Amino acid sequence: MPTEPFQSNPLRDGLNLRSIPDPCSLVIFGASGDLTHRKLVPALYNLAADGALPQAISVVGFARRDKTSEVFRKELGEAVRKFSRQAVNDELWENFSNSITYHRSEFDNPEGYVSLARHLEEIDAARGTRGNRLFYLAAAPDQFEVILENLRKSGLNKPAPGSWARVIVEKPFGTDLPSARRLNDLVESAFDESQTYRIDHYLGKETAQNIMVMRFANAIFEAMWNSRYIDHVQITASEPLGVEGRAGYYDKSGALRDMVQNHLLQLLCLTAMEPPAGLDADSIRDEKVKVLRSLRPLAGEEVFRHVVRAQYGAGGVNGKRVAAYRDELNVNPESNTETYVALEVNVDNWRWAGVPFFIRVGKRLPKGGTEIAVQFKSVPPVLFRATGESVDDNVLVIRIQPDEGISLRMCAKMPGSSLRIEPVKMDFHYGTSFGKATPEAYERLLLDAMSGDATLFARRDEVEEAWKFIDAIHEAWSTRANDLAIYSAGAWGPSEADELIKRHGATWRRL
Amino acid sequence: MEAPVTFDASRLGIPVEIGRIDKELGKLWESSDDSKTRASLINFVIHTGDPASLAADTEIISTIAAKHACRAILIFSNPGAPESSAQAWINAHCHQTGKGDRQLCSEQITFRLDGESAHALPNIVFSHLDSDLPLCLWWQGDLPEPLDDTLWAWVDRLIYDSAEWTNPMHQFSMVRHLTAGRKGTVLCDLNWTRLQPWRYALASLFDHAAAFPKLAKVESVEIDLNHNSRTSALLLLGWFACQLGWTANGSASEFLTADSRRVAFRIGENTNHGRNAALIRCDEAEFELALGVDSDFFEAAIRISGVSESRQILPAPRRNMTDTLLAELSRAGRHPLYTKSLEKILPLLGR
Repeated sequence: MPTEPFQSNPLRDGLNLRSIPDPCSLVIFGASGDLTHRKLVPALYNLAADGALPQAISVVGFARRDKTSEVFRKELGEAVRKFSRQAVNDELWENFSNSITYHRSEFDNPEGYVSLARHLEEIDAARGTRGNRLFYLAAAPDQFEVILENLRKSGLNKPAPGSWARVIVEKPFGTDLPSARRLNDLVESAFDESQTYRIDHYLGKETAQNIMVMRFANAIFEAMWNSRYIDHVQITASEPLGVEGRAGYYDKSGALRDMVQNHLLQLLCLTAMEPPAGLDADSIRDEKVKVLRSLRPLAGEEVFRHVVRAQYGAGGVNGKRVAAYRDELNVNPESNTETYVALEVNVDNWRWAGVPFFIRVGKRLPKGGTEIAVQFKSVPPVLFRATGESVDDNVLVIRIQPDEGISLRMCAKMPGSSLRIEPVKMDFHYGTSFGKATPEAYERLLLDAMSGDATLFARRDEVEEAWKFIDAIHEAWSTRANDLAIYSAGAWGPSEADELIKRHGATWRRL
Repeated sequence: MEAPVTFDASRLGIPVEIGRIDKELGKLWESSDDSKTRASLINFVIHTGDPASLAADTEIISTIAAKHACRAILIFSNPGAPESSAQAWINAHCHQTGKGDRQLCSEQITFRLDGESAHALPNIVFSHLDSDLPLCLWWQGDLPEPLDDTLWAWVDRLIYDSAEWTNPMHQFSMVRHLTAGRKGTVLCDLNWTRLQPWRYALASLFDHAAAFPKLAKVESVEIDLNHNSRTSALLLLGWFACQLGWTANGSASEFLTADSRRVAFRIGENTNHGRNAALIRCDEAEFELALGVDSDFFEAAIRISGVSESRQILPAPRRNMTDTLLAELSRAGRHPLYTKSLEKILPLLGR
C-alpha cells in the first residue's frame, strides 16, 4: 500500500499543547505607529522565542513614512528590547527579524497595494508562506475605509484556493451605532465575517479567559451563580493615569465609549452569560450576544438615575500634583467629556433578575486595576445576632489586572475562647501558582487569528448590540450639560457615584 | 560489609523527631513574621540513593519552590545499612513574590532511612503529604525491585531519567508494568523532556510546504547525541517513527514504512567532534540539525541535491537538571507521544 502524501507537517502532531498556526504573511497597516512598536512586534518576538510561530512566517510593515526594511528592522529591534516581556536574545532577534520587511506606500495609493501583492507573492515563493495573509489594521480608524477599499480592489482580500486571508480590526469599532454599522459594512465589503477578527485585548488576558473555566469547570460556583445567591456584581477599571497624549482621541470619545462599550461590557458578558453549547467561537459569542440583548435599555430620565458621569479636576496622584482634565494639553478647556463613568446595569433574564451590575471606570483614580467582584447575599441574620458580631458577606473577586488571580472573602472564627468573627481571604495568584509569566494579551490574540480561532474576538452583532446600549446613554447626555460631576484627581470618583450604589444598600469596593 | 555512607546534614535544616514533624513545622511558622506565607500546590517528593546528591537536591527544591510552591519531601534511603534508623530534618524555602516584601514559603522535610527503616518509605511519604494535592515523585536512578504497589498507586506524576538507567530495557518494562491498567499515573521521563527542543527544531525543519511532503520519502535517519546515552537518541528516533507511522523491522537497523519501504537508521556513534546532530535523508534532500557543545542555537541546514542549500538558526534553550524539572512541572497533562514513541523503540532497546 503506497504511503498517503502528508497534507501537513506530521512532526507537528501532538508536539504543542496548541497547534502551530499555518505559515503566513502578516501585513501591518500603520507599521510606524505605537501599537506596532509597543505591542505587536514584541508579541511576535515572544511567540517566536517560545517556539509558537511557524518558521515560515513573514511580517510586512505597510506605512507612509519613507524608510528601508533595514531601518524598519532596526527601529523594531529597539522597541522589542524596550517592550518585550522576556529578555531579547540578539541571535534570535536577528533570525526572526530576517522575516520582517517594510513596504512604503500611501494608504490611498492603489499602486501600493499592487506592489504589496507582488511582494507577498515573492515572500510565498521564498519563505513558503503558502499564500496565507493576515492583514492587521493598526492605522488610525479614519484610514480603515481606504485600506479596506484598496485591499478589495487589489484582490488581496481573496485568498488563492487552499489559502486564507483574514483581517484584524483594532478598536474603536466605530464611535456610535451608525458609524459601527458603516465600518462593519465596509469590512464586510472586503472580508466575510468569518475572515474578520475584531480585537479587544481585554479578552486576550489570561484572567478574562479564566472566567469561563472558573464558572463552568467548578460546580461550586456555577450552582450559586444566580439571583438567589448573588446580591450584585461590581466591575471596575481604574487607572491613575490621565489622558497621556491621547487627548485628541479621548476628548471626542470619553470613558463610556473608550472603555465601557467594549472592554467592560465584554467582561459583563463573560460574567453573566449562560453555559455555551460548545467551546467554538460562535457558540460562545451567541451567548454573549444574548446577554447584550438582555441589558435593560437606559434612555431618557432613566440614564440620569442609573448613570453618573464625571470629570477629574486638579488633585494629587502618587504624591504629585496633577492638572484638571480641562487643563491638559490638547483638551478643550470647556470640555464636557467624562473621564469617569459609573453605571447600574440590569440584565433582564431569569438568572439575573434583580441583580444589578455596577460598572465604574475612571482616570486619575488612586490606583490602577481591573476586577470583577461578585458580592454574595448576606446569610440570614439569626444565628450570630445574639453575639453582636457582624458577619461580612462573601465576595469573589476576579482580578483581571494587575496581579491576575481570584480571591474569595469568607468569614472565620478568630482563635480564642470568645466567638469573634473576622473576614479572611483565600487568594489565588496566577504568578505564584503557575510559576510562569502570563503571556501578553496580544500574543494570544495574534496566535488565535493566525490559527483561525475567533473565540476571543468580537462579532459584528456583539459590537452593534453594545453600541445600541451605549448610544441611548449618550443621547440622553446630549440633552443636558449640567449633570457632569467633578471629582478631585486622586479620589475614587464623585460622591454621586457613591450615591448610585448606596441606593442598592452597597458601597464601592476599595481596590 | 558495605562502606559507611558519608552523609552531610548541614544544609538540611533543623533535626526533628519523626513523630513531631508537623508540630515542629507549625512552630516554624508561628515564629516567623507576617510577611511570610506558607504555600503549597503540589507534593514534590525526591527519592535518592546517593547521599552526595542531598545538597544539590536541596538547591533544586529551593529553585523549584520559587516557581511551584510545594511540600517538598527529600528521602535518602539506604536499605543496605546494617543498622536500622530513621532521621528527619525540616527546612523552609522562602521567596519574594512580586514587588512587595511578601514572601511565599515552601516546606522541605528530609528523611534518612537506613536498613530496615527504608522499607517504611511508603508510610513516610503518605504520612507527610499535604492532603488533596497531587503527588509528584522524582525517583533518581534505577527503579527499585520489587515495586511496592502501595507507594506507586498513589503517585500522580512519576518523574525519572531514563538516561541514568543502567538497564533501560528492563527499567522501561517496569515502568510499563507500573502504569498498565492504571490511568492515573503520568510518566515523566526527564530524558524525553530534555529532547523537547530537538523535537521542536526538527519539526520546524519540515514546516515549509515543499519540505513536509518529503517526510513520506525518508530513506535514512542518523542521530548522534553525545550528551547522554543511546536511550536519548533512541527516544528521538522513536518519536520520528511514531509521527511517520514506521515500525521496527526485526533485528535490522531499519524501520518499515506503512507501504513497506525500508528506512535505515544509525544512532549514537558520535563522530562530530562533540556536536550533536540529526540527519534525515529523503528524496534527494538532506535535512540536518546540529548543536555545538556550548551553543544556545541549533544550526539547521536543508540541502536539495544540486539545487539549493538554506541555513537557519533555531533556539536551543540550555537546560540544567533544575530547568528540565521546571519544564516538566510546568507542563500539565500526560505525554501521549512519549508512550507511543516508547512502544516504537522497545524492540531496539536490547541491542
